[in-house]
Amino acid sequence: MKMKRWMLSILFLGSLLLPLAFGTIFAADKITLEVWHVHNAANSRDGAAMEEVYREYEKAHPGIKINLNAMTYADLRQKALVAGQAGQGPDVLHMLVEWVAEFAKAGIITDITNWVDEWEDEDKFPESTWQVTRVDGRCYGIPSVASTRLLLYREDLFKKAGIKAPPKTWSELRAVAKKLASNNMAGFAFCSATTAIRGPQEFLVFLWSTGAELVKKENGKYVPGFTVEQVQSVFQLYYDLIFVDKAVPLYTRGWEWQNLDQAFEAGTVAMCQNGSWMLYRAERAKTGKMWKTAPFPYSKVPATYLEVKVEGIGAFSKYKKEAWDLLKFVYNKENMARITKYDNLPSRSDVMNLPFYTSDPVWKKAFMEVIPTGHTVPPIPLTPILRASMEGVQEVIYERMKPAEAAKVFYDKVAEYLKTL
Amino acid sequence: MGTPELVERRKNLSLPRLLPYLYLMPLIVLVGVVIVYPFFHAILLGFWQKDILKAAGTRFIGLDNYVKLLTGERNFWLALRNSIVFTMCSVFLEYVLGLVSALTLNSKYIRARNFFRALILLPWIIPIVVNSLMWKFMLAPNFGFIGQLLAAVGLKWFQTVNWLGDVNLALPTVILVNVWRSFPFYTIVILAGLTLIPQELYEAAAIDGAKRWQRFSHITFPLLKGVSGVVVVLHIIWTFINFDVIYLLTGGGPLYSTEVLPTLLYRKAFEEFSFGYASSIGVVMLLILMFIVGKFYTKVIINRQ
Repeated sequence: MKMKRWMLSILFLGSLLLPLAFGTIFAADKITLEVWHVHNAANSRDGAAMEEVYREYEKAHPGIKINLNAMTYADLRQKALVAGQAGQGPDVLHMLVEWVAEFAKAGIITDITNWVDEWEDEDKFPESTWQVTRVDGRCYGIPSVASTRLLLYREDLFKKAGIKAPPKTWSELRAVAKKLASNNMAGFAFCSATTAIRGPQEFLVFLWSTGAELVKKENGKYVPGFTVEQVQSVFQLYYDLIFVDKAVPLYTRGWEWQNLDQAFEAGTVAMCQNGSWMLYRAERAKTGKMWKTAPFPYSKVPATYLEVKVEGIGAFSKYKKEAWDLLKFVYNKENMARITKYDNLPSRSDVMNLPFYTSDPVWKKAFMEVIPTGHTVPPIPLTPILRASMEGVQEVIYERMKPAEAAKVFYDKVAEYLKTL
Repeated sequence: MGTPELVERRKNLSLPRLLPYLYLMPLIVLVGVVIVYPFFHAILLGFWQKDILKAAGTRFIGLDNYVKLLTGERNFWLALRNSIVFTMCSVFLEYVLGLVSALTLNSKYIRARNFFRALILLPWIIPIVVNSLMWKFMLAPNFGFIGQLLAAVGLKWFQTVNWLGDVNLALPTVILVNVWRSFPFYTIVILAGLTLIPQELYEAAAIDGAKRWQRFSHITFPLLKGVSGVVVVLHIIWTFINFDVIYLLTGGGPLYSTEVLPTLLYRKAFEEFSFGYASSIGVVMLLILMFIVGKFYTKVIINRQ
């Protein structure tokens, strides 16, 4: 009886452990690469193309399995930093340019300078795109997809209002926006939500176009790269567009990019600062054929937000070499062209020169042409500065502060923060 | 054989006596790992500077986080005030709506009561994320459903009201959305409480000539106090620590007009990654909750017993 019970116990335990043992045996000869990114095949055609590329790599490398984890940008940053604290993280991760320094300082991405130096494709990427991958002279990723910002406007409304050409300067922007504004139409609109991702990017374009920089280095220390007067002129523009020209309706205050893009598609916004991803909406919108692009109006110098996304390798990855091989494959010439047909622009110069990118005057060529005026953000953790910029904009557009006061507060906040780095 | 003490000690260590503790062991380990350890770790973290994005890194700083929070954090008092307003207004309105709907659904004059009881649960069973995003879309100025509805009934001006983007309207709007989501829970609990009130009391009151309001104020409401106390205490806690509804609707904005302590904590922990400072906010929240709930519990529940 006792023997029988022992036998049963052993059998029971064995049945529990057996799948585990088999799992270990079968898993042992396959490497799994965890990829954390934002490209969702369900809602982006470039995302779907990217997934195809990854699957092709899997097919060509039977020993490698790729787990694609698509998430939002906010989740990706948070997850990467929190996992990094526990000494964990993905093998490959997609980064916004403003995160590279943050992640490098937090020690959660790998310095791949040596691999990049030996890569035969290194010179296929313009130097400006490599700059965003470097922190203190070391390279922490490869440039992947890119984007710039233009003025997106409705040509039909321009014609109706008798406006012959898109505005080139801030004063023209104000005049045109005022002319276009009506009861149901915002002449111009921008993002200003507290948690806005695009709001600070739009603000930076305004700031750069005053001739300023966000930060600069003096005696080895970071200090604000702008004057109070320069940022004041930006805040003044926000204020004037809303309260003086009444070109931006009050109800647009607090908008995030979803509101802005949706409203432009719905036909209630005549002009805004936007990116090439709007092609997706243009194709389905009734007015889509009337959507045109032009360089964004400036104050002193033309400027645009040059956003180069970066693909890094996790510092805690067990398969760094395999991750590097995967990255080289996904961002080779052929694949880069496949994954930048719709939402994004390529960061490789040999892809930028393909006829597809040089022939479409509205959605590809125009965005490529402004690359020389593009600015990238500095290689420091930027979240407090970007949040402070939105706080400044909100203080002005909710009339809690005058532009001059908000500019002084913003300058002080940035200066104070830079001292902590 | 041994001395009687030894025998007794052996008995105490025998398997049958230890077995209950062994059975409890997985639960004790689980509670220890997921509740007790993080709890004490968070309290300790409050005395440390732990900034993973700053050069200063990690070091012991004593009470500095608390001093900075109470004297130097410009949003702390604003967030505390908003937390209290959000909690009190939400709980009060939820209770009133829950009570009214429960009394209505308990009435014998209502047909298809079970159908309506199931229907009223809808807001509560919809996932918070879906619920919040749905409201965000409906409240959008110009093309949102609420604005269009109000415009259709002649209130055209409301079509362009930015419910969630206006510094004066954002908090009341967030409270109303939260009330809409939470009041069905009160309805169900109060309905359960109503079924426990003996019918004889109402019959006796009716014989004595008590009117409807008198029956409510002298029988129904006093006998619902126990149930009400529990549901209100629970909701004070849940609402005070509520993060998702506010974060999804406004992110604490515009201009921090809907910033509450949980959103402030989240921002410090997961946007700025100042874990030590964020922990100190968590500890302060815990102390405030212990004080409010302790007071309420003593006053309403213990005194009643």
